[in-house]
Amino acid sequence: MESTLELHLDDTMKNPAIIGVLCTDQQGHILGCRGSLSDEHGGVVSVLARQVASLTKDPTDSPTVCLESDSGNILVRAHGTITVAVHKMSS
Amino acid sequence: MASINAYILIYCDSALCKSNVFSGSYCCSGYIVAYILCTVVRLITTSTLTQGLERIPDQLGYLVISEDGVLASAGELENDEHTAGVIMQMMRTACRFRLQGAAEPPFKRMSVMLEDYVYTVTVSGQKVFVVKRQNNHREPVVV
Repeated sequence: MESTLELHLDDTMKNPAIIGVLCTDQQGHILGCRGSLSDEHGGVVSVLARQVASLTKDPTDSPTVCLESDSGNILVRAHGTITVAVHKMSS
Repeated sequence: MASINAYILIYCDSALCKSNVFSGSYCCSGYIVAYILCTVVRLITTSTLTQGLERIPDQLGYLVISEDGVLASAGELENDEHTAGVIMQMMRTACRFRLQGAAEPPFKRMSVMLEDYVYTVTVSGQKVFVVKRQNNHREPVVV
């Protein structure tokens, strides 16, 4: 059932700039992960996405949280009930 | 700030004792002077912090937050305690993020990108600086 998701995760990792990807549900349970992002990051990612939703009154506006450092950026965004995190190298 | 307060209090107290006119009223005056000096120092420090924030291009507002609460706010974020509270919650959550083998949080800056604006957040000197900026959407350049 999750083979489609697994394929998408593998396709995402083919991008040379991406070193990690992770999907969680709203409770922080991992749906799939690759690379530098793993099971231990699911909780923080889902909580961040939940907290940021209260910054906007527009329900159609899905904010993106970006944790920036010299070594790379971690982007977190919720899409419905699924939260996606991507770890990208700095360009 | 606590050490500056303590130094001024100790200095005023010892100066009054050496003058040999130490009494209850002079003691109170010393502490009042110390309080005024501390307030002036705090105002100058806050002004120094916010001067740079005013000059950020496209800024719509800013917040300076410490563990005790909001130290300064301006523009669209003036008195916006809700946003300050949410941002602080997010910073506490994000600081728990650890990549494999890393001891430090994996970020120097947190950006929250919405449709029309961006909140840029960073920590310096035990204070959290939040700037709300216009979101100038830039399409990726295909090379």
